[in-house]
Amino acid sequence: MRGIMFGYIRVVDAINHRIGRIAMYGIFILMGILLWSSISKTFFVPSLWTLEMAQFVMVGYYILGGPYSIQLGSNVRMDLLYGEWSTRKKAWFDVFTALLLIFYLCVLLYGAVSSTAYSLGYWGTEPFSFFGGLITGSEEIGRMERASTAWRPYLWPIKAVMVTGLFLMLLQCTSELCKDVLRIKGETI
Amino acid sequence: QSTIKWRMQTYAGAALAEHVIDPAIKMFNQIAGDRMQIELFYADQLVPTGELFQAMQRGTIDAVQSDDDSMASPTEVTVFGGYFPFGSRYSLDVPVLFNQYGLNEIWDEEYSAVGVKHISAGSWDPCHFATKDPIRSLADLEGKRIFTFPTAGRFMSQFGVVPVNLPWEDIEVAVQTGELDGIAWSGITEDYTVGWADVTNYFLTNNISGAWAGSFFANMDRWNELPEDLQTLFRVCCDQSHYYRQWWYWGGEANLRVNGTKMELTTIPDEEWATVEAKAQEFWEEIAAESDVKRRVVDIFKQYNADMLKAGRPYRYG
Amino acid sequence: MSYELIATLMFSTMMLMLLTGQRVFGAIGFVAVVAALLLWGDKGGFDIGFSAAMKLMKWYPLLTLPMFIFMGYVLSESKIADDLYKMFHVWMGGLRGGLAIGTIGLMVLISAMNGLSVAGMAIGSTIALPELLKRGYDKRMVTGVIQAGSSLGILVPPSVVLVLYAMIARQPVSQLWLAGIVPGLMMAGLFIAYIVIRCRMNPDLGPVLPAEERDIPRAEKMRLLRAGLLPLIIFAVMMIPFVRGWTSLVESSAIGAIAAFVAAVIKGRMTREVFENSVRNTLGITCMFMWIILAALAFGAVFDGLGAVKAIESLFTEKLNLSPWTILILMQLSFIVMGTFLDDTAMLVIVAPLYVPLVGELGFDLIWYGILYTITTQIAYMTPPFGYNLFLMRAMAPPEISLRDIYSSITPFVAVMVFALILVMVFPGLATWLPDYIYNQP
Ligand code: NA
Ligand code: NA
Repeated sequence: MRGIMFGYIRVVDAINHRIGRIAMYGIFILMGILLWSSISKTFFVPSLWTLEMAQFVMVGYYILGGPYSIQLGSNVRMDLLYGEWSTRKKAWFDVFTALLLIFYLCVLLYGAVSSTAYSLGYWGTEPFSFFGGLITGSEEIGRMERASTAWRPYLWPIKAVMVTGLFLMLLQCTSELCKDVLRIKGETI
Repeated sequence: QSTIKWRMQTYAGAALAEHVIDPAIKMFNQIAGDRMQIELFYADQLVPTGELFQAMQRGTIDAVQSDDDSMASPTEVTVFGGYFPFGSRYSLDVPVLFNQYGLNEIWDEEYSAVGVKHISAGSWDPCHFATKDPIRSLADLEGKRIFTFPTAGRFMSQFGVVPVNLPWEDIEVAVQTGELDGIAWSGITEDYTVGWADVTNYFLTNNISGAWAGSFFANMDRWNELPEDLQTLFRVCCDQSHYYRQWWYWGGEANLRVNGTKMELTTIPDEEWATVEAKAQEFWEEIAAESDVKRRVVDIFKQYNADMLKAGRPYRYG
Repeated sequence: MSYELIATLMFSTMMLMLLTGQRVFGAIGFVAVVAALLLWGDKGGFDIGFSAAMKLMKWYPLLTLPMFIFMGYVLSESKIADDLYKMFHVWMGGLRGGLAIGTIGLMVLISAMNGLSVAGMAIGSTIALPELLKRGYDKRMVTGVIQAGSSLGILVPPSVVLVLYAMIARQPVSQLWLAGIVPGLMMAGLFIAYIVIRCRMNPDLGPVLPAEERDIPRAEKMRLLRAGLLPLIIFAVMMIPFVRGWTSLVESSAIGAIAAFVAAVIKGRMTREVFENSVRNTLGITCMFMWIILAALAFGAVFDGLGAVKAIESLFTEKLNLSPWTILILMQLSFIVMGTFLDDTAMLVIVAPLYVPLVGELGFDLIWYGILYTITTQIAYMTPPFGYNLFLMRAMAPPEISLRDIYSSITPFVAVMVFALILVMVFPGLATWLPDYIYNQP
C-alpha cells in the first residue's frame, strides 16, 4: 500500500509538474493576443476573435496550471490555528477536509463532463454513458454547440480542456491526500 | 398543500426587467397567492445567459424569458429569435407571424424535441445602432466594434461591422473601457432605460429589424406538473407582458426620438440603405439553405411580407 | 430545509474548513456545491459549480489579473526598483525619519506599476527593510511602513481590487482608477505626516543618515533622480492610451506588462532566474485568485438562489428602518470585522455582491463607494489574523522581526487608514473630483 501511494504521488506530481510548466508560458500567448488586438484595432480592422481567444487561453492557463499551483503551495490557507499545529495534527485535519475538497472537484468535473456532452449534441442526463456510447458506436455526435458570437467557435475544445484540467486537479488533490495519510503514518515526504 | 415555487431567469438586467417582465410576474404572484410563487432573477444572476437553455433543460431554472439566439438554444429556429435581419417591420408583425402564419407550431415542434416547453412568443423593440461616433453612411460602419445579436452580427459583418458578444450587464462599462464602439441591440427606449444613452452619442434611425421576437419557456416536466388553471394563468400573464411591451416600446421610440436629449439622430439615406435590405434577401436564402425547418420559416416570412405589401397602406408604404 | 438554515450552515461550515486550514477555494467551493444540491437536488445542483466556470470565462476584465501580477513580479524580481530606492535614500536620508518617508515615496511609485500589493511588499522587505534596520530605524515602525505603503498598490491605479469591484458594481474601471489617485496620494501624505510627527517626538525611531553617507556630489544626485522616470514612463505608456480610449482595459494591461518586461530587458536585469521566478509566481498567484473566484461565483449564485440579497435589503431598510448613512457605516464596520476572519479575496467576491446593489439603491455614488470599499479592503489586508499583506510580510521579513512585531507594527497605520476612510466619507469630492474633471469636460 505504502509503495502504491508513493508511486501514485510520484507519477501524478510529475505529470502535473510538466503540464503546469507548459501552461505557465500561456501568459505570453495571452500577451501576444491582446497586443495583436490593440495593433489590429489601431492600424487595421479590429479582429473578431481576439477577446474570445484570450478568454480561452486564460481558462487553459488557470485550469491546467491549477495542479502545479497546488504543488507550489500558492493556495492560501488560513493559518490562525493551523499554522501552530504539528505536522501530524495538520495531516489529520487535512485528510478530512481534503475529502470535502475532492467532493467539490468531483461535482465540478461532473458538471464539466455533462457540459461537454451537451456541446457535442447530447441532451440527456447520463453524460458518461454518452461518452461510453461514442466509443462503442451506439451514440452519435449531434448538434455541436457554438459560441453565440460572430466568430462562432465550437465550444467543445475549451470544455474538453476544462475537463482535462479538472481531472488533473482531482488527481493532484488525491495525491495531496496520500501525502497526508503517509505523514500520519510517520513517513517524511 | 405547499406552495409551488419556480425560479425564472430573464435575459434582461434589473433596469429593463422593470418593464419587460416584472409587472407580469408580480401579477402572477399576486393572483396565484399561496398556490404558486415565481422568483425572478435577472441577467446572469444564477447562470450566464449563454447557459440558460441548458440550465432550464436540467431544472436548475424552471422558466426562462429570452430570445432563442441569446440563450443559444440548440434548435433550428435559433437564428430567427432576436433580430432576424428585416424579418419584421412593426411590432405587431411578430404576434401575427406566430399566431396566424404558423410559427407557433414550428417553435412548439422544435422545443418539444429538446425537452423544453415553448409557452408564448412576443415582440420587443426594433434594432437600431447607438454609437459613440456618428453613422451617416454605410462606410461609417466599417471597423466598428458593436455589441449585437449573434445572427444580426453575422449579417452585419459583411458591411465591416465587428460584432462582439459580452454579458448584457457589462455593455455600458465595455463602451466606456473601449471594448465596444457601440451597440446594435435595441431601440432608443432601451438605450435610455438601461443607461446606454449615457455612454453613446448618436442614434441611427435606420433599423435592421422592426421588432425582435422573444419567448417564455419552461422546463417540460415542471410545466406538465402544473395544474391546468395555473398553466392558463401563466399564459395570461405572458400575454399581459407582450401587451405591455407593445405600447411601452411603440410609444417610447417615438417619444424619445422627438423629446430625447441624450442622443443625436442620424440617418443613412434610403437609396444607400436599400443595398442592406437587398443583402438581407440573399442572407435569408443562405439561412434557408441550411435546413428544412429554416426553409419553412423563411417561406413564411416571404409569404407574410408579400401579403403585407399587397395589403398596401398602412401595412407597408411603397 | 429552510433557507435560513441552509445559509447559516453554509457560513459555519465554510468557517470551520477555513479555520482547520483547508485551501480557501476548497472551503468555499465545497460549501457552494453542497448547498446547491440541497437547494436544487441532483438535477440542477450538479451544474451550478461548473456554470460558474463559464461565467468566469466571460468576465473579460479578469484577463488583466495575470498581466498586473506579472508586471509586479518583473519589477520586484529584476530589482529595477533598486535604483528607485537609492534615489529616495540619497535625497531623503538627511531628514529625521527620511528613509521611512522615502520608502513611502518608493511604494507610491511601485503602486503605479502593479495591481496588487505583492510587488510593493517584496521590494520593501528585500531592499528597503534591511537598509532601514542597518541604519538603526525602529523595526516596528519600518515593518508597518512597508505593509501600509505596499497596500497602496490596490488604491493607486492600476488596481486589481478595483477591477473586481468594477465587475461586481458594473462601473467603469477607468473612472474608478482615476478616483483612487487622490485618496491614494492623500493616504501616502498621511503616512508621511505620521512618520514626521513620530520622529520629531522620538528621534531614535528614525535617525538621520551619518554625514559621510550624505556627502554625495550634486551631479550624482541628479543622475539618480532619473531612476524616478522609469515608473512614470511605464505608467504613462499604459494609462494614457487607456484613458484616451485608444486601447481597451485588457489591452492596456498587456501593454503595461510588456513595458515592464522590456524595461527589465533594457536595463539588463532580465536574467534566466528573474524570468523563471516572475513567470512561475504569476501562475501561482493567478491560479490562487482564479480558483477562489471560481468557487465564490458558485457560492454567490447559491446565495442569490436563496434570495439573500433581498433578505439583507429588507433587513436593513424595512425591518431595522435605518437611515442610509447608518447602513453604510454598519456595512463598512461589518467589512472590517469580517476582514479579520475571512479571506480577503473571498470577502471581495462573496460579500460585495450582497452590499453593492444596496449601496446603489440607497442613492450613494458607486464610484465613490468603490474607493471606500478599497480602503476597507486595504485595512482587511493588514489586520490579523487573516490578511494578505500579513502573510507576505511573515514570509519575506528577516528573522529578527517576530510575528509579534508584525502584528503590533500595523496598529498606528491602521488608525491612519481609518482616518483616511472617514475623510473620504465626509468629503466625497476627494474621490469623485478627478474622474468628474477628466470625463465631464464640456
Ligand atoms: Na496599483
Ligand atoms: Na484581515
